[in-house]
Amino acid sequence: MRNILIIDDEDDIREVAALSLEATAGWDITTACCGADGIRAASDPERRPHAILMDVMMPGMDGPTTFRKMQLDPEIAGIPVLLLTAKVQGVDQRRFAGLGVSGVLFKPFDPLTLAAQISEALGWKD
Amino acid sequence: MTDAADKTANLLAALWVRIRPLVEERLATLDQAAADASAGTLGEGLRAEAASSAHKLAGSLGMYGYDEGTRIARELEVLLGGAQPDAARLGGLIAELRGALFTQG
Repeated sequence: MRNILIIDDEDDIREVAALSLEATAGWDITTACCGADGIRAASDPERRPHAILMDVMMPGMDGPTTFRKMQLDPEIAGIPVLLLTAKVQGVDQRRFAGLGVSGVLFKPFDPLTLAAQISEALGWKD
Repeated sequence: MTDAADKTANLLAALWVRIRPLVEERLATLDQAAADASAGTLGEGLRAEAASSAHKLAGSLGMYGYDEGTRIARELEVLLGGAQPDAARLGGLIAELRGALFTQG
């Protein structure tokens, strides 16, 4: 079973994403409310995620900074990361895509198709 | 609807009820920013806080099916991105947003 780590400071976004991925794809979900907790969760060898869905704008350590920190840890650097953003301007989208993440998804997402969007972005066939 | 779609729709409806106070809180921040803008006293702190509230509303309302709410919140975010947002436009958009969220169709 796929295990997805969701990192977002907004409680309702985490909850909707988690519920929708569990309900529509049957994936196992771990959540974290900030970048530092997200790095700790990703580093847990018992629950190493297959992918990370992470918000861009978070207080303290934002998504891009958290991603760059993850890349410094060889244990978790290989985990695909999808950034989640409500920024719709092209310049922002290109900046995020240029970080080296596996993809950028947009808020608000459709809870019924979020799992399909993630699978498509990561090339997952199942 | 599939079982998963039914289940997700039910969960979203329940969650919308639960987060409504948070939505009201964000609208209240926008109201305060509009009032201060109207009085010519909108400071940088409240402007940034209101822009953040608009950003969060824009990023979440569509999840609950309020696509028009997301569109209006995005306009508010852009408007609040300016140093001196137009108070009348701000107030009009906030009223429009409330209408999109809470007026029965």
